[in-house]
Amino acid sequence: MKDRKALAENQMFVAILASVASIAIGLIFGSILLLILNPSKAGLGISAILTTGFSSLDQFGKVLYQSAPLMLCGLSVGFAFKTGMFNIGATGQYTIGAFCALVGAIAFQLPWWMCLLLSFVGGAVWGVFPGLFKALFNVNEVITSIMFNWIGMYLVNLLLANMPIMLASAWGASNSDRTANLAQANPGAMIPKGGLDRLFGDSSWINISVFIAIIVAVICWFILEKTTFGYELKACGYNKDSARYAGINANRNIISSMIIAGALSGLGGGLYYLAGTIQYVLEKKTLAMGFNGIPVALLANSNPIGTIFSSLFISYIQVGGSAMQPNFSSESTDIIIAVIIYLAAFALLIRGFITKLLKGGQKEEVKE
Amino acid sequence: MKVAEDYVIEMLHITKEFPGIKANDDITLQLKRGEIHALLGENGAGKSTLMSVLFGLYQADQGIIKKDGKEVKIKDPNDANRLGIGMVHQHFKLVECFTVLDNIILGVEDTKHGFLQKEAASKKVMQLSEKYGLKVEPDSFVSDISVGMQQRVEILKMLYRDNEILIFDEPTAVLTPQEITELMEIMRGFKKEGKSILFITHKLSEIMAVADRCSVLRKGKYMGTVNIADTTREELSRMMVGREVEFDIKKKSQEVGDVILSVKDMVVASKAHNNNAVKGVSFEVHAGEIVCIAGIEGNGQTELVQGITGLEPLKSGSIELCGKDITNASIRERSKAGMSHIPEDRHKHGLVLDYTLEQNLVLQRYWEPRFQNHGVIKSMEVRNYAEMLIEKYDVRSGQGPVTTARSMSGGNQQKAIIAREIDKDPQLLVAVQPTRGLDVGAIEYIHSQLIAERDKGRAVLLISLELDEVRSLSDRILVIYEGEIVGDFDSVAMEELGLYMAGAKRKDKKEAAS
Amino acid sequence: MNILANIISLTVVFAVPLMLVALGGMYSEHSGVINLALEGIMVIGALCACFTLQAFDKNGFGPAHPQLSMLIATLVAAVTGMIFSLFLAFAAINLKADQTIGGTALNTFAPAFAVVVTWAVQGQGLTTIQIPSWIRITQENFGLEPGKGFLDMLIFKYFYLTTPIAIILFFAAWILMYKTRFGLRLRACGEHPQAADSVGINVYRMRYAGVLISGVLGGIGGIAYTIAVGSGFSSSVGGYGFLALAVMIFGNWKPVQIMGSAVFFALFKVIAAYNQSIPFLPKFEGMKDQSSLYQMLPYIVTMIVLIFTSKHSQAPKAEGIPYDKGSR
Repeated sequence: MKDRKALAENQMFVAILASVASIAIGLIFGSILLLILNPSKAGLGISAILTTGFSSLDQFGKVLYQSAPLMLCGLSVGFAFKTGMFNIGATGQYTIGAFCALVGAIAFQLPWWMCLLLSFVGGAVWGVFPGLFKALFNVNEVITSIMFNWIGMYLVNLLLANMPIMLASAWGASNSDRTANLAQANPGAMIPKGGLDRLFGDSSWINISVFIAIIVAVICWFILEKTTFGYELKACGYNKDSARYAGINANRNIISSMIIAGALSGLGGGLYYLAGTIQYVLEKKTLAMGFNGIPVALLANSNPIGTIFSSLFISYIQVGGSAMQPNFSSESTDIIIAVIIYLAAFALLIRGFITKLLKGGQKEEVKE
Repeated sequence: MKVAEDYVIEMLHITKEFPGIKANDDITLQLKRGEIHALLGENGAGKSTLMSVLFGLYQADQGIIKKDGKEVKIKDPNDANRLGIGMVHQHFKLVECFTVLDNIILGVEDTKHGFLQKEAASKKVMQLSEKYGLKVEPDSFVSDISVGMQQRVEILKMLYRDNEILIFDEPTAVLTPQEITELMEIMRGFKKEGKSILFITHKLSEIMAVADRCSVLRKGKYMGTVNIADTTREELSRMMVGREVEFDIKKKSQEVGDVILSVKDMVVASKAHNNNAVKGVSFEVHAGEIVCIAGIEGNGQTELVQGITGLEPLKSGSIELCGKDITNASIRERSKAGMSHIPEDRHKHGLVLDYTLEQNLVLQRYWEPRFQNHGVIKSMEVRNYAEMLIEKYDVRSGQGPVTTARSMSGGNQQKAIIAREIDKDPQLLVAVQPTRGLDVGAIEYIHSQLIAERDKGRAVLLISLELDEVRSLSDRILVIYEGEIVGDFDSVAMEELGLYMAGAKRKDKKEAAS
Repeated sequence: MNILANIISLTVVFAVPLMLVALGGMYSEHSGVINLALEGIMVIGALCACFTLQAFDKNGFGPAHPQLSMLIATLVAAVTGMIFSLFLAFAAINLKADQTIGGTALNTFAPAFAVVVTWAVQGQGLTTIQIPSWIRITQENFGLEPGKGFLDMLIFKYFYLTTPIAIILFFAAWILMYKTRFGLRLRACGEHPQAADSVGINVYRMRYAGVLISGVLGGIGGIAYTIAVGSGFSSSVGGYGFLALAVMIFGNWKPVQIMGSAVFFALFKVIAAYNQSIPFLPKFEGMKDQSSLYQMLPYIVTMIVLIFTSKHSQAPKAEGIPYDKGSR
């Protein structure tokens, strides 16, 4: 009985429970939708979402591979949340990061770790704008971020189109709508597999990126929880007025947190495209990866350590989602993700409800 | 046989509870037709809650309301309005970017084929305005008019709705003396017209001047109703605070030391209007004295403090702390130079409510080498320091250093702030209304801490609206009126202080010095 | 001359969805709710309207009564947009949720839902819903001879029912906001909900009204956008919902200025989309993929404009803050 009350007061536990609950509701909602759309194939679709990730070592390798950029985008969004900013611009920062990494890899023939560094810097540059515009001109960071998502995407397309060496056509392939295959252009820029491929049954996906992401997550946790810098950032996020009262420069913190958030997303872009398995395609659509950082961060309640797990989960259902084709579109997973985000919007309410439930249960026991 | 009294409103045995406090505990209030009935009580006595129940903003947990002897239910302001009850709120409920006329008609607009009919409304407003001497400009935007005119707009809102029962919630707190006199006149005018008035205040002189009867609340409880003609100020104040007002604080006399804070010709702009809020103020605070800035709310105290502490830049003038010019210093630099600040609003400025108690206790010092090493916080050191402060200043909380500040009581939140600010060992302590909204025990504790600082030879600048506090703590009193220091006293009689605060008297610096 | 006529008529047809959706955002924000979900609302409105048009096309009702069909499709867009916006209203008003996150959820949901449904209805891989050609208003509708003159190009090249509807809704917005009881009360809720409450206005109900109207306009804007693009509906409205928010901010939350800024942005969009066929635009020698450059333009212009206008923005003071009757 006492345990239960202690649990109800443990905010971490309640937050995790709330996340699990919203995942469950999201999955149930998604299943119902599939049932309505195509009752005969719904069972196949649902089991594809739930089991594909563990169905083979190759698929599990893919889960791990995709979780790395997701983790970084989630860390990016979460880091900004901690300072009270909503970084919906992760996708733009991610795109610029990917571009910088690929330029380093293909045009300048740099080794993979230098390319990652470039992606980190590129993302940081793109993160400057929302913070700077908010601090200097009072422009809402959400609008700035969205505008710079589009600007970033078109800019990358424009630059790539005018750098023929970057395109696959310059490296022996016929298509010019995508960047060169790294295996041909610069194998040294591919993130090492570190022997993991053998462990994962020659999975083409797996490399050490997920470990890099986990290390970054731990660093983020350390910065936020253990340093004066993190202390200042969170103070600004919780209460800008009292931060100012304590002599903390709120504007400087807003800008620095957005730069870091941008750098994290940028690094995510680098990790994804430097694997060599996927080439950047010049499209007229913003990339979904950055947006998926939002549910990752929300599920983790912006906690960097929680982000490790939430990104693995989102990656897992996404791998499942692509296995649903051709019965259902892979966007079905986005519907589940949308439900999870929606529930996160009133996370406080859900947490309060869970706390009450735990405490309420205790009261009943007392009566008995 | 006694004829039954003609009560227009009766609130019988009203109880209203909020989580943690009983704001109203079995309160009965009876308003006669055509009287001015004062409702007296200290801050937090439950006056505003009671009026909110009458106006339909809150529902009472127990008790009934009668209008003309018949029980009524008031579920929202619409119900209140239908019963002829109107209210001027303490914090005006006016839409700033609307015109005066739009604000008056909002909620009771006349329409024709769905279109607003403003001409007739404008005519009615002008008639009311002339009849009661409530001068307003119907087409001005509320953001452009003075506080006094905003209040007249609020009054016109009630009259426009043909309300017969008028509630005034602390209407004089923001007014100048002339405006207060005018308001009293207007209230008498309403009485003559047969309207019934409920007048909420904690100022005795206003009650003596204008009210017929007075009901007194103390800590949510009903203390009784008296006829003003049969009572004295002393009796009223006894009812209000439950003891003699003059509570003595033992203060040893001591020589003042060097000048710690020196403010010269300070000018600070106002955020609310285009005028300056602080208009060329100069004064000094010495080591070992408590200097108190007394004045009615909204006379520039907030901006004065913001200027001294660095929250707002000065338009002109200079500030020196311990002989060092800090006019353009940042907030952090001022803190390092020895300034501590107990802010007016502990939730907005004083605490990060979502931080733990220990995180809040190092809010002004986390950057010191003692608490960090190359940017890494020394958690053990913070914990030990927090535990020491909690012990020393008796800050009570559920889980000690890791309690979330939000979950602590107001008194303990304030104690935490005071512990933090005093333990910094400041040369100058700026304390702004440090006892607002606290219970007597906490107030006495905070007063003793301020005195202790003074006795240690620190300079204390106290900004207070409570005359008792001003009188019992200060070694020197500066009176601020409309952004200027109009009086400088070592000791002064209560009545005289009131006159200065009301702007009715002023003495210039030379006189003060002599 | 014909090019000028082309540009003008294209600008109008692209300004229509921008203005409608920005007006929608205006209603919502004046009531106190930030509607970031406009993008998603547009998608849902467009999706349902396109299915309606497709159904009319198949059963022959559409070709027989083109404008009546179009009117019905527009109504479908309005109603479905409104229903979808209910989710935002419920989260923001009843549950006092974070409005930005709630809006993001709807924006994630809508395109995914559209793809999944289109896929399920049309079969795998067929993710574009074609729009029948009979919806255009032609000279014949007015008993005129088809022609290729300046006025023909100006008026009839891209003339759809959504344009007159948008003009009517624009005037309605102006009247509603400034001349009626509803507008006065709505604006009061976005500026100072406590004041509105104290004079007996039901803040929750007004906020619902604001969000639902934005749903209606967002839905209509969705179909108007799809028509303007002309290449069918593929589960996206190309960021127009977000652009509309920028239009609304630039338009200072006021109908007339919103219309002006919608036209301004639409012009840039047209230049971006048709830069190759506009003769007087600079052609950068040797540069490939110039269209990307021009497509960046509207967003860059938005940012520059926002930098200059945001300092003095007249945003409703209480927007984004959940209203809680208990706390005052």
